[in-house]
Amino acid sequence: MSLLAPGTTAHHAPGSVDEMAELYRRLDADGTTTVVIGGGNHLGVGNPVLADVSVATEALDAIIDYQPDDLTLTVEAGVTMGAIDELLDPHRQTAALPETEPTATIGGVVAAGISGYRRSRFGPTRDRVLEVTVVTGDGRVVTGGARVVKNVSGYDLPRLATGSFGALGVIVSVCLKLWPEPESRATVRLDDPADADSLYRPLAVLETEEGAWAYLQGPASEVASSASIGIVQSDGFTWPTFDAPGTAEMRVPPALVPDAVQRLNVPFIAQHGVGIVAMATEDPDVLEPARSWCESVGGSLVVTSRSGPVDAAPSIDPWGTPPPAQSLQRRLIAAFDPRRIVNRGRLPGGI
Amino acid sequence: MSLVSDLIAVLGRDRVLDDRLDSWTYGKDAGVFRGEADVVVLPESTEEVAEIVRVAERHSTSIVPRGAGTGLAGGAVPVDRNVIVSMIRMNEITDVDPENRTAWVGPGVVNLDLSRHTEVHGLHFAPDPSSQSACTIGGNVGNNSGGPHCLAEGTTVNHVLAVEVVLAGGEVVTVGGGAPDPIGLDLRGILVGSEGTLGIVTKVLVKLTPNAPDVRTLLCAFDSVEDAARAVSGIIAAGVVPAALELMDQRMTEAVENWLKAGLPTDAAAILLAEVSGGTAAVKAEAAVIREVATSSGASSVSLAADEAERQILWKARKSAFGAVAQTAPDYYLHDTTVPRTRLVEAMTEAYAIGDKYDLVMMNVFHAGDGNLHPLMTFDASQPGSFERVRAAADEIVEMCVSKGGVLSGEHGIGKEKRDLMGLMFDAPALDAQARIKEAFDPGGLFNPHKILPQGSRCFDFGRTVPVPDGAWI
Amino acid sequence: MAYVTSEAPTRRELSACVQCGLCLPHCPTFRLTGRESAGPRGRLMAMSAVLDGVLTVDEAFDDAMSYCLQCRACEAVCPGLVPFGRAMEGARAELDAQRPSTRRSVRKLILGSVLPNRRLIGLATFGASVVQRLRLGRLLPGPIRSPFNGMRSLGGRQSWVGREALPAQDPIGTIGLLAGCVMDSWFGPVHDATIGVLTAAGYRVTVPEQQTCCGALAAHDGHTAVTRELAETNRNAFADVDLVVSDAAGCTAHLKDYDHWVDGGFQAEVRDATELVAELIDTGRLPIVPGERGTVAVQDPCHLRHAQRITTAPRSILSAAGYTPLEIDPDALCCGAAGIYSVLHPDTSQELGARKASQVLGSGAPVVASANPGCEMQLRSHLDGKIAVAHPVELYWRALSESRLDTSSRSGAL
Repeated sequence: MSLLAPGTTAHHAPGSVDEMAELYRRLDADGTTTVVIGGGNHLGVGNPVLADVSVATEALDAIIDYQPDDLTLTVEAGVTMGAIDELLDPHRQTAALPETEPTATIGGVVAAGISGYRRSRFGPTRDRVLEVTVVTGDGRVVTGGARVVKNVSGYDLPRLATGSFGALGVIVSVCLKLWPEPESRATVRLDDPADADSLYRPLAVLETEEGAWAYLQGPASEVASSASIGIVQSDGFTWPTFDAPGTAEMRVPPALVPDAVQRLNVPFIAQHGVGIVAMATEDPDVLEPARSWCESVGGSLVVTSRSGPVDAAPSIDPWGTPPPAQSLQRRLIAAFDPRRIVNRGRLPGGI
Repeated sequence: MSLVSDLIAVLGRDRVLDDRLDSWTYGKDAGVFRGEADVVVLPESTEEVAEIVRVAERHSTSIVPRGAGTGLAGGAVPVDRNVIVSMIRMNEITDVDPENRTAWVGPGVVNLDLSRHTEVHGLHFAPDPSSQSACTIGGNVGNNSGGPHCLAEGTTVNHVLAVEVVLAGGEVVTVGGGAPDPIGLDLRGILVGSEGTLGIVTKVLVKLTPNAPDVRTLLCAFDSVEDAARAVSGIIAAGVVPAALELMDQRMTEAVENWLKAGLPTDAAAILLAEVSGGTAAVKAEAAVIREVATSSGASSVSLAADEAERQILWKARKSAFGAVAQTAPDYYLHDTTVPRTRLVEAMTEAYAIGDKYDLVMMNVFHAGDGNLHPLMTFDASQPGSFERVRAAADEIVEMCVSKGGVLSGEHGIGKEKRDLMGLMFDAPALDAQARIKEAFDPGGLFNPHKILPQGSRCFDFGRTVPVPDGAWI
Repeated sequence: MAYVTSEAPTRRELSACVQCGLCLPHCPTFRLTGRESAGPRGRLMAMSAVLDGVLTVDEAFDDAMSYCLQCRACEAVCPGLVPFGRAMEGARAELDAQRPSTRRSVRKLILGSVLPNRRLIGLATFGASVVQRLRLGRLLPGPIRSPFNGMRSLGGRQSWVGREALPAQDPIGTIGLLAGCVMDSWFGPVHDATIGVLTAAGYRVTVPEQQTCCGALAAHDGHTAVTRELAETNRNAFADVDLVVSDAAGCTAHLKDYDHWVDGGFQAEVRDATELVAELIDTGRLPIVPGERGTVAVQDPCHLRHAQRITTAPRSILSAAGYTPLEIDPDALCCGAAGIYSVLHPDTSQELGARKASQVLGSGAPVVASANPGCEMQLRSHLDGKIAVAHPVELYWRALSESRLDTSSRSGAL
C-alpha cells in the first residue's frame, strides 16, 4: 500500500538511489514541489507542506551492510524500526531507536530527529548516525560521514541531516551505531521519580500520570542491586505510549522536568534526566502557556502529531519562536535544494 | 590605517603581537607543518572577536583561530599571512549548573581545568584527548576531539549543547541550547569539528558527565600486537563496551617507561589498557569478562590497577606517549585514521609493512576500542628527503585504511595535513556539497582558508543534471 | 646576531622538543599572558630559530628569554626530556655576551661579586636590620620593598661559616653544609635547625671555611665565567666531606648541577636538607615526633620540586613532626620570587606572589612550610604577617626539641 500525502496529486516511490536522483533532477528542472514520506508516522510534525507530489521511500528497503562485530548497520531509508529489530535481535544487538513505532522508517526517524526513550544512555539519534546519503533537491547523491564509529573527516553531514525534515533533500540511506544487548533488564516501579537519583546513569526514568518507572539494564548483578530502589515489574521493558494522535512535546533543561510535570493536567510521558515531557493534547489553551514557559527557560514546545488532516491549518504554530540565524539556515538549505522543492516551509520560520 | 593599527585600536598594544619572533612562534602547532603569521591577536571578549572579524574583512585578510596549538593536523597553522586569533585568554568558566549538568565556558579554558573545576559537583567533561592537560575547549570544539574515553562517551560533539559563534560580518549568534532537540537545523553539530573554517566559537555550553562510582583499569600484556588487537574485538563481541580500550606497542612502551618509570612491562610486544566504569557490580562483572577474553586471546599477564594512584599513572603513561617519543628521534609524524574494528589486525599488520618498506621506525599507541589507529613514525627532518619519505608512507597508510572502509581522520581533523587526501574518501558530489556548506557560512573565504577542503572542491560547473563520471576526483 | 658563545643552546637540547604543548599549563608566565613567546614551547622555538638563522639575538629575543622565571616546571612535565633549564641558561649567556647593558653589568657585579662577598653581605644585612628596626621599609623603592618585607627579623649571629657541630656519639659521617649568601646572614634559624637535626641523627656537621656563594643566580642570569669560578671554589672547599648539604633548595639544585660547570663536580654526593632528613626519618635515624601540631600548608619551591623532583620529602618531614600537610596547588606554579626575578619583573612577580598567598590562606593552615629562602621571603611579603612561614626542617627541629624538653622534664619529675 502506498501512502499518498494529503493534498498531493501524484505519488512516486523510486526503487533505487539512482532512480531517486533521476526523479529529483526531473522535478527540480520542472520546479515541482514534493513532500517526502516514509512510514507516515511523523507527517504531523512541523509546518504543513503544500506540495505537488509525494515521494515515498518505501521501496528503498534494502539492508545494505550489517557488521555485527563492528556494531554498525547500514540500511536504506525505507527500512522500518520493526525490520531493524527483527534483524538485530538474533545477534543480541540494538540500534536503540524509538521503541514504540514499529512501522516508522529509519529515514523518517532520522529526518525528524526522533530519539526514543533510551537516549540518556545512548545519546540522541543524532549522535548515532555515522553516515548518511541524501539525494539533494537538484538530484545530486551526496554522502557524508562514514561507516566507522569515530570519524572527523569533513563537515558533519549526518548531524546536519538528522532532524532536517528533508531540508537537505531525501535521506536515502544511513549507517547506524549499534550496542550489544545487556545480560539483564528490569522495569522498576518507583514511588517517586526522584528515587532514581541515587542510581548512576539509569537507562531511562519515565513518569506518567499513572506513576514512575526506572528502566535498568546491564550485568545481572548490577540490575539486581539497582532494582532495590523500587518494585520490579518486569524483567523486560514495557514502554508507555499515547493512544491517539494529537500530541506535543515540552523540551526543557533536564532539571526542570518536575516543574513541567507540575504544570500539567493532561496525560503525559515525562523523560526525567532528558528534559522531554510529551503531552496528549492539542488544546491551545494548554499549549500556549506551556510554550511561553518552555521558551522562557531556553527550551521549546513542539507539536509532534495532529489528529486532523496534516495539510489542514494547525490550531497552534507547530514550532513556536524560530531559532536564530534564519538567513544562514536558508543559505545552507539552498546549497542542497536550490529551488526548495523538498518539504518546502516545513522547518521553523516556514523555511 | 594599517591592519595592525586597526587591531591595536580594538585590543590595545599589549594584545596585538606583530614582532617577527611572535609570528614565528605562532607558526606551528604540535604537528609537522610550519607557516608564519602576519599578526597575532589575543581577544578577551566576544565583542572584541566580532570587531577583529570586521577589521580583517575590511583589510581582506583571513583569520586563523587558535587554542593551545596542540593539534596535529595543522589546523591552527597559518597558510597565507593570516591574522592568528588566539582564544587562550577567553578562559572563564561561568554558570556551572550541577542540576542540569552543564556549564558555559570560554574557548580558552583548558580541558583538564574544566574537569577539575566541576569535580566538586562530582562531574567532569568526558572528552579527554591525550593533550587534555594543555588543550583548550575551543580547540576540542574545532576538531571535535576524542580521547580514550570517547569509546563509551562519544567525541566532543556529543558533549557540546550550544555554541556562541562569531560569523562572517561579525554577526554573533548562539546555536543549540540547554534543552534537548533544539528546533531548526543543527548548526551546532556542523560547527563542532569545522576546524575554525566556518566561524569563531567564543563560548561553549558543555554537557558534564557524572563521575562513575567505580572504575577499574586493567593492564594486559601480550606477546604479539595481533593477539592484543584480537582481544579488543573479542571484548566488544562479548557484549562489553568498556569506558576505554587502548593499545600500545613495545617501542612506545619503552619510550614512555624510560621517562615515567611507571613499571610498564617493556618485554611485552603490546599492552592493552582496558577501563570499565559504572556501578560496582557492573564494573566487577565487566572486568571479569575482559580478564577472561584477554587471557583466552593469549595475554601473558593481566593486572588490575590497585588504587587511584596506580590508575592515574597508567593513564599518564598512555597520555604522554607522543611526547615521550621525542627522546628517540628529533621529529615524529603521528597519524590518525579509523578502520572498522574488525579490520584492525590486518590494518596494523599492513601499517608495519609500509613502515618497513620506507625504512622507517614505526610505533603505535591508539584507541583500539573504536578502531582509531595512531601509527607514529620517527625521523630526523634535518636529513634530506626524510620528511618526504615519511609523508609518502603516511599517505600510503591512509590509502590502505580507506580501502578497508576506514576514514582519513578519527579525531585529529583534516586541517592542512589531509586536505589533499579528501578525494580518497569523498566523491565529487560529496566534496562539492562540503564546499557549499563552507560557502553558505563564509562566502568571503575569511575563516581558516586552505584547510579541510582541497583546492577546487567546489565544482561550479557541476551541471545540475549531468552526473559526474566515477573517479573524477580520485 | 646569531649565537656567539660556546654556552649557547645546542641543536641537541632544542630538537628534543616536539612542540606537544604539554608544558604550557605548567608555565606561570604562559598562564598569565597566553603568549607563545612567554611559554617554554615558544621560547625553545625562538632559540631554535636563532640557531637556524631565522631570528637573531635582538630585543624581542631578550624580552622573551628574560621574562622566564626559570622555575623549570616545564622540564618536570616534559615527556620528551627537554633540558629546558640548561637551554635557558645558554640563552641567557648569549644575552650576557651580546646585549651588554648597564643594568646587566650591574647585575653581573651584584651576582658575581657582591653575593659571594661575606663582608659586603654583612654590611647590607646591617643596613637592612637598621631599616627594619627603624620601620623605614615603606620608604624603599618598589621592586626592593617586597623582598625586604619578606625578610625575617635580623640580628644575632651574622655568619655560620667556619662552625662545626658534633653529635653525642661517634659521628656516622661528615656533612659539609653550604652556608649560602643571603641564607647565611638572613636565615640563621634554618641553619641552626639543620645543624641540630643532622647532629641529632649522628652526623658531624661542618660549615667549611673556604666556601662561597653557590653561583645559582649568576648561572641563571647567564654569567658563566663567574659561575665557573664560584663552582671551582666550592668544589675545593668541600673536598673533605662525605655529603654536601644545603638547606636552600635553589642552591641545592645548582650544586647538583656542578658537573656541568667544573670537571667532575663535587666528589661527595649533594643532598637537599629536606631530602636527607626525610631519608633519616625513613631509616629510623631520626624519630617520628609524638603529638599533633595541626595543619601546615606546603609550598613546593620550584627548584625542589621541578628541578630536583623532590615532592614527598617535605611532606614526610612535616608528618613526622606531627603536622598534617595540606596541598595548595596541584600545578605547583612558581610563587614569583625566582631569584632576582622579583626585582627585574616586579609586576609578574607580584601577581604570582599574590596568587600563591591566596592559595596558602585558602588552606586555612596557621603556618606554611617552604624549603627555599627566596620563596619564603616572597610568601612572607605577600602573606603580610597573616600566618607564619618556616622551613620544613625548622618545624621538625622545633617539634623534636619540644618533645625532648617534655621527655626530660617528665623524667626529671620521676
